[in-house]
Amino acid sequence: MNRNNFWRNLVRYHTLLLMLLPGVLFFILVAYIPMAGIVLAFKKYNYNDGIFGSPWNGFDNFKFFLQSGDAWDVTRNTVLYNIAFIIVNNLLPIIMAILLFEVAKKWFRKVIQTMMFLPYFLSWVVVGAIAYNLFNYDFGLVNGLLRGVGMEPIDIYNTPAYWPTILVIVSAWKAVGYGSIMYLAAITGIDTEMYEAAEIDGANVFQRIWKITIPNLLPTVIILVLLAVGNVFRGDFGLFYNMVGNNGLLFESTNVIDTFVFRALTLTSDIGMSSAAGFYQSILGFVTILAANYAVRKYDKDRALF
Amino acid sequence: MKVSKKKSFLLLLTLLLTLSMAISACSGNNSKSNQSESTGKTNNSAATAETNVAGTETDIDTSKEVRLKMVMLGAKPADSQKVYDEINKKLKEKINATVEVEYLDWADWSQKYPIKFAANEDFDLIYTSNWAFYNDQATKGGFLELTEDLLKKYAPVAKANIPEVNWDQAKVNGKIYMIPNNHMEVVDKLSLIREDLRQKYNLPEVNSLESFATYLKTIAKNEKGVTAYSDAAGNGVVWHDLDLQTLFQLNNWRLLNYAVPIAFKADDPTGKLFNVIETPEYKDLLNYYKDLADNGVWPKNIINNKADIWPQVKSGKVSMITQNLLTLASNMAEAKRENANVNLKIVTLSPNAKTSAAIATQNGMGIHATSKNPERALMALDLFQNNKEIHDLVLLGIAGEHYKPEGDDKYSAGPMAANYGGYSTWGFNSNINRENLDTPKEALDMLNELKSRVYHYPLEKFVFDDTNVKNEISNINNVMIRYNAPLEYGAIENTNEGYAQLAKQLKTAGLEKVQQEMQSQIDAFLAAQ
Repeated sequence: MNRNNFWRNLVRYHTLLLMLLPGVLFFILVAYIPMAGIVLAFKKYNYNDGIFGSPWNGFDNFKFFLQSGDAWDVTRNTVLYNIAFIIVNNLLPIIMAILLFEVAKKWFRKVIQTMMFLPYFLSWVVVGAIAYNLFNYDFGLVNGLLRGVGMEPIDIYNTPAYWPTILVIVSAWKAVGYGSIMYLAAITGIDTEMYEAAEIDGANVFQRIWKITIPNLLPTVIILVLLAVGNVFRGDFGLFYNMVGNNGLLFESTNVIDTFVFRALTLTSDIGMSSAAGFYQSILGFVTILAANYAVRKYDKDRALF
Repeated sequence: MKVSKKKSFLLLLTLLLTLSMAISACSGNNSKSNQSESTGKTNNSAATAETNVAGTETDIDTSKEVRLKMVMLGAKPADSQKVYDEINKKLKEKINATVEVEYLDWADWSQKYPIKFAANEDFDLIYTSNWAFYNDQATKGGFLELTEDLLKKYAPVAKANIPEVNWDQAKVNGKIYMIPNNHMEVVDKLSLIREDLRQKYNLPEVNSLESFATYLKTIAKNEKGVTAYSDAAGNGVVWHDLDLQTLFQLNNWRLLNYAVPIAFKADDPTGKLFNVIETPEYKDLLNYYKDLADNGVWPKNIINNKADIWPQVKSGKVSMITQNLLTLASNMAEAKRENANVNLKIVTLSPNAKTSAAIATQNGMGIHATSKNPERALMALDLFQNNKEIHDLVLLGIAGEHYKPEGDDKYSAGPMAANYGGYSTWGFNSNINRENLDTPKEALDMLNELKSRVYHYPLEKFVFDDTNVKNEISNINNVMIRYNAPLEYGAIENTNEGYAQLAKQLKTAGLEKVQQEMQSQIDAFLAAQ
């Protein structure tokens, strides 16, 4: 009976399945096969013996991270930043997408969209250099303005408290264009008949947004958030490293797992130890995504990923 | 019905979009592990090549043309292609081989360098040095071991010319992995200051910590638009860039690992190690630096500065630069050549200290363990280092264009000098190097003076094996970036609190364990002497 179903489905959805094939192959090739490299996290790697021949050393590679005394701090930073990024970088694009959708003028929509999308193409190195020229104490634009209006300059690169806000804003600035295009596509796909019906029934703009647009966007939001949750233990290295650099004064509020590992291992360049850190992040990420998916399932079975 | 179908299609679309996003995000990581995977498969080729060499002891067969890939550090010179075309003509004629150079830029070489080995990229020759992963990669098996037989057969001139002591210094665990340079060099750091500004304010000669501070503070106070001191601290330094001069050279201390604040006195025959952070000299220096920082000697956000400062010194925006003598001499020559509006002078803060000669591993060339043509690579190295024509070409460029030969052993800059050089050809330095006539006289005087103070100490050749304390060293590295650099650059308001924090964190990171490990290795080394 079941088997019959399988074959029937295979025939019925053959086009869709065929479309899926390249993606599946891609993931097998670049995600599943290299996964065997995880063994490096438990090995004392040397070139002569290679990945599988190198001697095992148990959990030695994990020690440096756990012994450092910073493991808890950097893990907490990573998670908190990522939660902030997930909230801000989904909320802002949704708002922008709804606003853009409600704007009638097409040219205006296009201009705004393009302007929002531009930062997405800037490399973090460039963004870091721009930030340095904005925030520098001696010649930065911000402090130049403050001095200009007769106020005391602020030493941004010496004050950890400013940085969570700065990093969230910069991340949003770079991500909002991309996200809003995705949500705009989702909104455009909502059946217009619903809007027409609502209009006939006398719903105003806010009611339309609240009762039609947002409920229809929810599945997309949930998928995106679930996918992002899986990466909640991975710090965006480009963002953190290029914005903060090696400024130790800011580490307490900006050090994430990725930058911590990078700075610790630049001199030793031990592949086993960096693999161990990556493995640690993957395991935690895996557990989180299972938990998040379970929570979504509890709430609404159809909206869970699996 | 219609609605839900559309919805599910849309869902699929967004899913695909996000997946493609995830893919592009992941691919960076994956390609790395992908490449390193291949390491296991191809690492046999070197071994077979070696046995081939041993097997065909008779004549060297160069009938098959080979292309050698050479990795160098530094920016690609504008005329690289032109010069290497010339070199390749000669190499082709002599050993039926050509070389192709890949340049790893200074900005990120230290990240790319180990990856080249870890990913087992295809290259034959690579620059290496005690500051460029030599010990690290040799222990990991990245370089081909250069056995007595290999050297005698394929690099006979280098084998004969380079003194035995240099070969000894190039050994890691008793084996040779590089052809070291064959040229006496001093590695002490010195400073270039603005002599015109010093005279303008009628300041005393700069030759001590006090006179140095006076110079810096006067400029910071009086010269608007000139920064007294700056450096590229943003590149992840663990020490203040001046420490080599103000702490280590001055007191004649030597570190075993750049990131670990454990040192010994060079003239102490027992090699007794001590914690640098706990010395009164270090504590005094902290106050010295704090005073400089509070007087605005360097920019407040110097820890975030990544820009190379030589261009700013040349244009008069920064009043000094710190480097080794050779670099400073070429800086001076460059400023003179370009008629820069600054009058520079070389100064030392430790006029009486003992100088260390560079040990042989300061510059050298290694052969990749999986090179497909190690014999030809060795032969090429021998020519680069010891064949007059090729040696001059690779070091100085084309005669008449990039340099003007003066007699047999001297040269001066040619009209196109700026278009060639500036990368790690030091690995080829040897006793046939031409002397630069453009080197300012005072730089030569300084060189001779430094050479007269060169001091050889028993632990010169000692190489620390960090295998047992890797975890601790990684954590100490992090602690030094995080707590020592800001403290030394005076960015922490309360020096005492900052100091207490640093000492505490270093202890937590396992400094004592590293010190014990280092001491036991040193004791064993000295006992074996």
